[in-house]
Amino acid sequence: MRPCNRSDPRLGLGRRGFLAAVAALWVGLGIFPLAARGRTQKLLSLHEADFYRPHDLAG
Amino acid sequence: MAPRGAGFPPGCAVTEVHCELCPRECLIPEGGAGDCRVRVNLGGKLRATTYGRPSAIHIDPMEKKPLYHFRPGTPVLSIATAGCNLHCLNCQNWQLSQRGGEEMEQIYRADPAEILALARDQGCESIAYTYSDPIVFYEYTYDTSSLARAQGMRNVFITAAYINPEPLRRLCRVLDATNADLKAFDEGFYRSVCGASLKPVLDALVIFREQGVWLEVTNLVIPTLNDDLAMIRRMARWIHDELGPGTPLHFSRFQPQYRMRNLPPTPAETLNRARAEALDAGLHFVYVGNVFGHEGSTTYCPRDGTLLIRRVGFTVTDNRLTAGGHCPTCNEPIPGVWQ
Repeated sequence: MRPCNRSDPRLGLGRRGFLAAVAALWVGLGIFPLAARGRTQKLLSLHEADFYRPHDLAG
Repeated sequence: MAPRGAGFPPGCAVTEVHCELCPRECLIPEGGAGDCRVRVNLGGKLRATTYGRPSAIHIDPMEKKPLYHFRPGTPVLSIATAGCNLHCLNCQNWQLSQRGGEEMEQIYRADPAEILALARDQGCESIAYTYSDPIVFYEYTYDTSSLARAQGMRNVFITAAYINPEPLRRLCRVLDATNADLKAFDEGFYRSVCGASLKPVLDALVIFREQGVWLEVTNLVIPTLNDDLAMIRRMARWIHDELGPGTPLHFSRFQPQYRMRNLPPTPAETLNRARAEALDAGLHFVYVGNVFGHEGSTTYCPRDGTLLIRRVGFTVTDNRLTAGGHCPTCNEPIPGVWQ
Protein backbone atom coordinates (compact mmCIF):
# COMPACT_ATOMS: atom_id res chain seq x y z
CA MET A 1 0.00 0.00 0.00
CA ARG A 2 1.31 3.50 -0.95
CA PRO A 3 1.81 5.89 1.91
CA CYS A 4 -0.41 8.99 1.96
CA ASN A 5 1.50 11.94 0.52
CA ARG A 6 0.17 14.98 2.38
CA SER A 7 2.39 17.34 0.41
CA ASP A 8 0.71 16.44 -2.91
CA PRO A 9 0.48 19.79 -4.73
CA ARG A 10 -2.48 18.50 -6.79
CA LEU A 11 -4.65 18.22 -3.68
CA GLY A 12 -5.45 14.62 -4.49
CA LEU A 13 -7.35 15.65 -7.64
CA GLY A 14 -5.04 14.04 -10.11
CA ARG A 15 -3.32 15.96 -12.89
CA ARG A 16 -6.40 16.57 -15.05
CA GLY A 17 -8.65 17.37 -12.14
CA PHE A 18 -6.13 19.77 -10.71
CA LEU A 19 -5.73 21.62 -14.04
CA ALA A 20 -9.52 21.79 -14.45
CA ALA A 21 -9.91 23.24 -10.96
CA VAL A 22 -7.24 25.86 -11.59
CA ALA A 23 -8.83 26.82 -14.91
CA ALA A 24 -12.30 27.11 -13.34
CA LEU A 25 -10.94 29.25 -10.53
CA TRP A 26 -9.05 31.47 -12.94
CA VAL A 27 -12.07 32.04 -15.19
CA GLY A 28 -14.41 32.44 -12.23
CA LEU A 29 -12.26 35.02 -10.50
CA GLY A 30 -11.96 36.97 -13.72
CA ILE A 31 -15.61 37.01 -14.77
CA PHE A 32 -17.50 37.09 -11.52
CA PRO A 33 -16.31 40.50 -10.35
CA LEU A 34 -17.16 41.98 -13.74
CA ALA A 35 -20.65 40.51 -13.66
CA ALA A 36 -21.13 41.61 -10.07
CA ARG A 37 -20.25 45.18 -11.02
CA GLY A 38 -22.67 45.08 -13.93
CA ARG A 39 -19.95 45.95 -16.40
CA THR A 40 -20.62 43.23 -18.94
CA GLN A 41 -21.66 45.02 -22.08
CA LYS A 42 -25.00 44.28 -23.72
CA LEU A 43 -25.40 44.81 -27.44
CA LEU A 44 -29.12 45.38 -27.98
CA SER A 45 -31.25 45.52 -31.06
CA LEU A 46 -33.84 48.28 -31.29
CA HIS A 47 -36.91 46.17 -30.57
CA GLU A 48 -35.54 45.30 -27.12
CA ALA A 49 -36.10 48.73 -25.57
CA ASP A 50 -38.87 50.93 -24.23
CA PHE A 51 -38.08 54.36 -25.61
CA TYR A 52 -40.76 56.05 -23.53
CA ARG A 53 -39.19 54.85 -20.28
CA PRO A 54 -38.58 57.85 -17.98
CA HIS A 55 -34.90 58.74 -17.85
CA ASP A 56 -32.77 61.35 -16.18
CA LEU A 57 -30.59 62.46 -19.07
CA ALA A 58 -30.63 66.20 -19.62
CA GLY A 59 -31.21 67.69 -23.07
CA MET B 1 -7.82 64.22 -41.31
CA ALA B 2 -4.77 63.25 -43.29
CA PRO B 3 -2.37 60.84 -41.58
CA ARG B 4 0.64 62.65 -40.22
CA GLY B 5 3.91 60.77 -40.04
CA ALA B 6 6.12 61.20 -37.00
CA GLY B 7 9.18 59.48 -35.63
CA PHE B 8 10.85 59.81 -32.29
CA PRO B 9 13.23 58.31 -31.46
CA PRO B 10 14.67 58.28 -35.01
CA GLY B 11 13.93 55.06 -36.83
CA CYS B 12 10.82 54.37 -34.80
CA ALA B 13 7.92 54.36 -37.26
CA VAL B 14 4.96 56.10 -35.65
CA THR B 15 1.86 57.23 -37.49
CA GLU B 16 -0.40 59.77 -35.88
CA VAL B 17 -3.65 60.99 -37.28
CA HIS B 18 -4.81 64.55 -36.90
CA CYS B 19 -8.49 64.92 -36.02
CA GLU B 20 -9.65 68.30 -37.30
CA LEU B 21 -13.24 68.04 -36.13
CA CYS B 22 -13.04 70.23 -33.05
CA PRO B 23 -10.67 72.92 -31.80
CA ARG B 24 -8.73 70.37 -29.75
CA GLU B 25 -7.15 69.17 -33.02
CA CYS B 26 -6.01 65.93 -31.39
CA LEU B 27 -2.95 64.14 -32.70
CA ILE B 28 -3.88 60.53 -32.07
CA PRO B 29 -1.16 57.87 -31.94
CA GLU B 30 -1.62 54.45 -33.49
CA GLY B 31 -4.09 52.49 -31.36
CA GLY B 32 -4.99 55.55 -29.30
CA ALA B 33 -8.09 57.69 -28.92
CA GLY B 34 -8.70 61.43 -29.06
CA ASP B 35 -9.68 63.53 -26.10
CA CYS B 36 -13.32 62.56 -26.72
CA ARG B 37 -12.44 58.83 -26.22
CA VAL B 38 -14.47 57.67 -29.20
CA ARG B 39 -12.49 58.83 -32.23
CA VAL B 40 -9.53 56.52 -32.60
CA ASN B 41 -6.51 55.80 -34.77
CA LEU B 42 -6.79 52.29 -36.16
CA GLY B 43 -4.05 51.34 -38.57
CA GLY B 44 -3.26 54.96 -39.34
CA LYS B 45 -6.89 55.86 -40.10
CA LEU B 46 -9.27 57.93 -38.02
CA ARG B 47 -12.31 55.89 -37.00
CA ALA B 48 -15.48 56.85 -35.14
CA THR B 49 -16.01 53.87 -32.84
CA THR B 50 -19.58 54.73 -31.89
CA TYR B 51 -20.94 54.96 -35.43
CA GLY B 52 -24.26 53.10 -35.44
CA ARG B 53 -23.83 52.31 -31.75
CA PRO B 54 -25.97 54.68 -29.65
CA SER B 55 -26.15 54.10 -25.90
CA ALA B 56 -29.27 56.20 -25.30
CA ILE B 57 -32.45 56.30 -27.36
CA HIS B 58 -35.52 58.01 -25.94
CA ILE B 59 -38.62 59.84 -27.08
CA ASP B 60 -38.79 63.29 -25.52
CA PRO B 61 -40.93 66.38 -25.95
CA MET B 62 -39.23 69.10 -28.00
CA GLU B 63 -39.43 71.36 -24.92
CA LYS B 64 -36.95 69.13 -23.09
CA LYS B 65 -34.08 69.95 -25.46
CA PRO B 66 -34.99 72.84 -24.77
CA LEU B 67 -36.38 74.17 -28.05
CA TYR B 68 -39.35 76.49 -27.41
CA HIS B 69 -39.69 78.01 -30.89
CA PHE B 70 -39.38 74.82 -32.94
CA ARG B 71 -42.45 72.65 -33.54
CA PRO B 72 -43.79 73.07 -29.98
CA GLY B 73 -45.38 70.10 -28.29
CA THR B 74 -44.09 67.51 -30.77
CA PRO B 75 -42.24 64.31 -29.82
CA VAL B 76 -38.63 63.90 -30.93
CA LEU B 77 -36.61 60.70 -31.15
CA SER B 78 -33.43 61.49 -29.22
CA ILE B 79 -30.20 59.56 -29.63
CA ALA B 80 -26.69 59.74 -28.20
CA THR B 81 -23.52 57.74 -28.10
CA ALA B 82 -20.79 57.74 -25.48
CA GLY B 83 -18.07 60.40 -25.47
CA CYS B 84 -17.70 64.16 -25.40
CA ASN B 85 -15.07 66.69 -26.40
CA LEU B 86 -15.70 68.76 -23.26
CA HIS B 87 -15.16 67.65 -19.68
CA CYS B 88 -17.34 70.02 -17.66
CA LEU B 89 -17.04 69.49 -13.92
CA ASN B 90 -20.82 69.96 -13.62
CA CYS B 91 -21.78 67.64 -16.49
CA GLN B 92 -25.39 66.50 -16.13
CA ASN B 93 -24.95 63.43 -18.35
CA TRP B 94 -21.49 62.37 -17.26
CA GLN B 95 -22.39 58.67 -17.15
CA LEU B 96 -22.72 58.87 -20.91
CA SER B 97 -20.45 61.70 -21.95
CA GLN B 98 -17.36 60.98 -19.87
CA ARG B 99 -16.95 57.40 -21.04
CA GLY B 100 -15.73 55.63 -24.13
CA GLY B 101 -17.99 53.28 -26.05
CA GLU B 102 -16.32 50.20 -24.58
CA GLU B 103 -17.19 51.38 -21.06
CA MET B 104 -20.94 51.55 -21.67
CA GLU B 105 -23.08 48.80 -20.18
CA GLN B 106 -25.60 49.06 -22.97
CA ILE B 107 -25.17 49.73 -26.65
CA TYR B 108 -27.76 49.49 -29.40
CA ARG B 109 -27.11 48.35 -32.94
CA ALA B 110 -28.80 50.96 -35.10
CA ASP B 111 -27.65 52.18 -38.50
CA PRO B 112 -29.08 55.46 -39.83
CA ALA B 113 -31.89 53.73 -41.75
CA GLU B 114 -32.98 51.89 -38.59
CA ILE B 115 -33.07 55.15 -36.61
CA LEU B 116 -35.23 56.70 -39.28
CA ALA B 117 -37.59 53.71 -39.34
CA LEU B 118 -37.82 53.78 -35.55
CA ALA B 119 -38.70 57.49 -35.55
CA ARG B 120 -41.50 56.86 -38.04
CA ASP B 121 -42.81 53.84 -36.13
CA GLN B 122 -42.96 55.92 -32.94
CA GLY B 123 -44.74 58.85 -34.59
CA CYS B 124 -41.80 61.28 -34.39
CA GLU B 125 -41.20 63.75 -37.20
CA SER B 126 -37.90 64.98 -35.77
CA ILE B 127 -34.68 63.34 -34.64
CA ALA B 128 -32.47 64.92 -31.96
CA TYR B 129 -28.75 64.30 -31.64
CA THR B 130 -28.29 65.13 -27.98
CA TYR B 131 -27.44 64.14 -24.35
CA SER B 132 -23.65 63.80 -24.82
CA ASP B 133 -22.22 66.07 -27.50
CA PRO B 134 -23.19 64.89 -30.99
CA ILE B 135 -20.06 66.54 -32.35
CA VAL B 136 -18.15 63.40 -31.35
CA PHE B 137 -20.50 61.18 -33.35
CA TYR B 138 -20.42 63.61 -36.24
CA GLU B 139 -20.47 61.03 -39.05
CA TYR B 140 -23.40 59.14 -37.54
CA THR B 141 -25.28 62.42 -37.09
CA TYR B 142 -24.48 63.54 -40.62
CA ASP B 143 -25.53 60.30 -42.31
CA THR B 144 -28.71 59.95 -40.26
CA SER B 145 -29.60 63.61 -40.81
CA SER B 146 -29.01 63.36 -44.56
CA LEU B 147 -31.29 60.36 -44.82
CA ALA B 148 -33.90 61.98 -42.59
CA ARG B 149 -33.80 65.25 -44.53
CA ALA B 150 -34.34 63.37 -47.81
CA GLN B 151 -37.49 61.83 -46.34
CA GLY B 152 -38.94 65.04 -44.93
CA MET B 153 -37.94 64.53 -41.31
CA ARG B 154 -36.37 67.32 -39.21
CA ASN B 155 -33.01 67.19 -37.45
CA VAL B 156 -32.15 68.98 -34.23
CA PHE B 157 -28.67 69.23 -32.75
CA ILE B 158 -28.12 69.83 -29.02
CA THR B 159 -24.54 70.82 -28.50
CA ALA B 160 -21.88 72.79 -26.66
CA ALA B 161 -20.81 74.06 -30.10
CA TYR B 162 -17.11 73.34 -29.60
CA ILE B 163 -16.48 72.49 -33.23
CA ASN B 164 -14.34 73.76 -36.09
CA PRO B 165 -15.99 75.96 -38.74
CA GLU B 166 -15.53 73.69 -41.77
CA PRO B 167 -17.20 70.54 -40.41
CA LEU B 168 -19.92 72.69 -38.84
CA ARG B 169 -20.79 74.39 -42.13
CA ARG B 170 -21.05 70.99 -43.80
CA LEU B 171 -23.30 69.67 -41.02
CA CYS B 172 -25.55 72.75 -41.13
CA ARG B 173 -26.73 71.71 -44.60
CA VAL B 174 -28.72 68.87 -43.04
CA LEU B 175 -29.78 70.45 -39.72
CA ASP B 176 -33.03 72.26 -39.01
CA ALA B 177 -32.55 73.52 -35.46
CA THR B 178 -30.00 73.63 -32.69
CA ASN B 179 -29.87 74.46 -29.04
CA ALA B 180 -26.31 75.48 -28.27
CA ASP B 181 -24.86 75.90 -24.81
CA LEU B 182 -23.14 79.16 -24.09
CA LYS B 183 -21.73 78.09 -20.76
CA ALA B 184 -20.44 81.49 -19.74
CA PHE B 185 -19.25 84.68 -21.38
CA ASP B 186 -15.85 84.25 -19.85
CA GLU B 187 -12.71 82.60 -21.15
CA GLY B 188 -11.56 81.64 -17.65
CA PHE B 189 -14.78 79.72 -16.97
CA TYR B 190 -14.42 77.72 -20.17
CA ARG B 191 -10.82 76.93 -19.31
CA SER B 192 -11.27 75.96 -15.67
CA VAL B 193 -14.72 74.31 -15.68
CA CYS B 194 -14.96 72.83 -19.19
CA GLY B 195 -11.34 72.41 -20.29
CA ALA B 196 -12.15 74.37 -23.45
CA SER B 197 -12.23 77.94 -24.76
CA LEU B 198 -14.93 80.49 -25.53
CA LYS B 199 -13.96 81.90 -28.94
CA PRO B 200 -14.67 78.78 -31.04
CA VAL B 201 -18.11 78.52 -29.40
CA LEU B 202 -19.00 82.11 -30.32
CA ASP B 203 -17.80 81.50 -33.88
CA ALA B 204 -19.95 78.38 -34.10
CA LEU B 205 -23.08 80.22 -32.92
CA VAL B 206 -22.58 82.83 -35.63
CA ILE B 207 -22.17 80.06 -38.22
CA PHE B 208 -25.43 78.42 -37.13
CA ARG B 209 -27.17 81.75 -37.64
CA GLU B 210 -25.49 82.44 -40.99
CA GLN B 211 -26.36 79.00 -42.30
CA GLY B 212 -30.04 79.40 -41.50
CA VAL B 213 -30.29 76.76 -38.78
CA TRP B 214 -32.93 77.75 -36.19
CA LEU B 215 -30.90 78.62 -33.08
CA GLU B 216 -31.73 78.81 -29.38
CA VAL B 217 -29.07 79.36 -26.73
CA THR B 218 -28.88 77.88 -23.23
CA ASN B 219 -26.88 79.24 -20.32
CA LEU B 220 -26.68 77.07 -17.20
CA VAL B 221 -26.31 79.47 -14.29
CA ILE B 222 -23.99 78.12 -11.60
CA PRO B 223 -23.87 79.96 -8.26
CA THR B 224 -20.62 81.92 -7.77
CA LEU B 225 -19.07 80.70 -11.04
CA ASN B 226 -21.03 82.34 -13.85
CA ASP B 227 -23.90 84.21 -12.16
CA ASP B 228 -22.32 87.65 -12.33
CA LEU B 229 -24.99 90.01 -13.70
CA ALA B 230 -22.50 92.22 -15.53
CA MET B 231 -21.20 89.17 -17.40
CA ILE B 232 -24.74 88.02 -18.14
CA ARG B 233 -25.52 91.45 -19.55
CA ARG B 234 -22.45 91.34 -21.81
CA MET B 235 -23.51 87.90 -23.01
CA ALA B 236 -27.05 89.08 -23.74
CA ARG B 237 -25.74 92.11 -25.63
CA TRP B 238 -23.50 89.89 -27.72
CA ILE B 239 -26.43 87.59 -28.56
CA HIS B 240 -28.54 90.63 -29.42
CA ASP B 241 -25.89 92.14 -31.69
CA GLU B 242 -24.48 89.00 -33.35
CA LEU B 243 -27.40 86.58 -33.41
CA GLY B 244 -30.38 88.92 -33.31
CA PRO B 245 -32.88 90.05 -30.66
CA GLY B 246 -35.30 87.25 -31.63
CA THR B 247 -32.86 84.52 -30.56
CA PRO B 248 -34.38 82.67 -27.59
CA LEU B 249 -32.11 82.49 -24.55
CA HIS B 250 -32.73 79.91 -21.82
CA PHE B 251 -31.33 80.37 -18.33
CA SER B 252 -31.19 76.92 -16.79
CA ARG B 253 -31.00 76.00 -13.14
CA PHE B 254 -27.84 74.19 -12.00
CA GLN B 255 -28.16 71.04 -9.92
CA PRO B 256 -25.10 69.65 -8.08
CA GLN B 257 -23.68 66.93 -10.32
CA TYR B 258 -20.59 64.90 -11.15
CA ARG B 259 -17.51 66.72 -9.79
CA MET B 260 -19.35 69.85 -8.70
CA ARG B 261 -21.41 68.70 -5.76
CA ASN B 262 -20.04 71.38 -3.47
CA LEU B 263 -22.30 74.12 -4.83
CA PRO B 264 -26.03 74.55 -4.15
CA PRO B 265 -28.76 74.58 -6.81
CA THR B 266 -29.25 77.97 -8.43
CA PRO B 267 -31.74 80.08 -6.45
CA ALA B 268 -34.83 81.05 -8.45
CA GLU B 269 -34.10 84.69 -7.64
CA THR B 270 -30.75 84.50 -9.44
CA LEU B 271 -32.48 83.14 -12.54
CA ASN B 272 -35.11 85.89 -12.33
CA ARG B 273 -32.41 88.56 -12.17
CA ALA B 274 -30.52 87.02 -15.11
CA ARG B 275 -33.74 86.97 -17.13
CA ALA B 276 -34.53 90.58 -16.30
CA GLU B 277 -31.00 91.60 -17.29
CA ALA B 278 -31.22 89.84 -20.67
CA LEU B 279 -34.66 91.30 -21.41
CA ASP B 280 -33.30 94.72 -20.50
CA ALA B 281 -30.39 94.16 -22.90
CA GLY B 282 -32.93 93.88 -25.71
CA LEU B 283 -33.58 90.16 -26.14
CA HIS B 284 -37.23 89.39 -26.87
CA PHE B 285 -37.49 85.79 -25.68
CA VAL B 286 -35.74 84.91 -22.43
CA TYR B 287 -36.76 81.78 -20.55
CA VAL B 288 -36.06 80.10 -17.23
CA GLY B 289 -35.58 76.33 -17.28
CA ASN B 290 -35.31 73.45 -14.80
CA VAL B 291 -37.75 75.21 -12.44
CA PHE B 292 -41.13 73.52 -12.56
CA GLY B 293 -44.06 75.86 -13.15
CA HIS B 294 -41.93 79.01 -13.45
CA GLU B 295 -43.60 81.92 -15.20
CA GLY B 296 -40.39 82.33 -17.22
CA SER B 297 -41.23 79.32 -19.37
CA THR B 298 -44.10 81.19 -21.07
CA THR B 299 -43.77 82.93 -24.45
CA TYR B 300 -45.17 86.46 -24.72
CA CYS B 301 -45.52 88.69 -27.77
CA PRO B 302 -42.61 91.17 -27.67
CA ARG B 303 -44.86 93.86 -29.18
CA ASP B 304 -48.03 93.86 -27.08
CA GLY B 305 -47.28 91.32 -24.32
CA THR B 306 -50.01 88.84 -25.31
CA LEU B 307 -49.51 85.37 -23.86
CA LEU B 308 -48.64 83.13 -26.82
CA ILE B 309 -47.50 79.74 -25.49
CA ARG B 310 -47.88 78.52 -21.92
CA ARG B 311 -45.76 75.59 -20.76
CA VAL B 312 -45.82 73.59 -17.55
CA GLY B 313 -42.72 71.44 -17.21
CA PHE B 314 -42.15 70.05 -20.70
CA THR B 315 -45.83 70.19 -21.63
CA VAL B 316 -47.44 72.86 -23.80
CA THR B 317 -50.74 73.63 -22.08
CA ASP B 318 -51.85 76.52 -24.29
CA ASN B 319 -50.72 77.60 -27.77
CA ARG B 320 -52.42 80.73 -29.09
CA LEU B 321 -50.14 81.42 -32.05
CA THR B 322 -51.83 81.65 -35.43
CA ALA B 323 -51.13 78.89 -37.93
CA GLY B 324 -48.51 81.11 -39.55
CA GLY B 325 -46.75 81.84 -36.26
CA HIS B 326 -48.17 85.32 -35.57
CA CYS B 327 -49.51 86.96 -32.46
CA PRO B 328 -53.31 86.55 -32.53
CA THR B 329 -53.93 90.13 -31.31
CA CYS B 330 -51.37 92.36 -33.08
CA ASN B 331 -50.29 89.97 -35.87
CA GLU B 332 -46.60 90.38 -34.95
CA PRO B 333 -44.57 87.57 -36.60
CA ILE B 334 -42.92 85.45 -33.91
CA PRO B 335 -39.56 84.02 -34.98
CA GLY B 336 -39.38 80.23 -34.99
CA VAL B 337 -40.33 77.11 -36.91
CA TRP B 338 -43.93 76.48 -35.98
CA GLN B 339 -45.08 73.83 -38.45
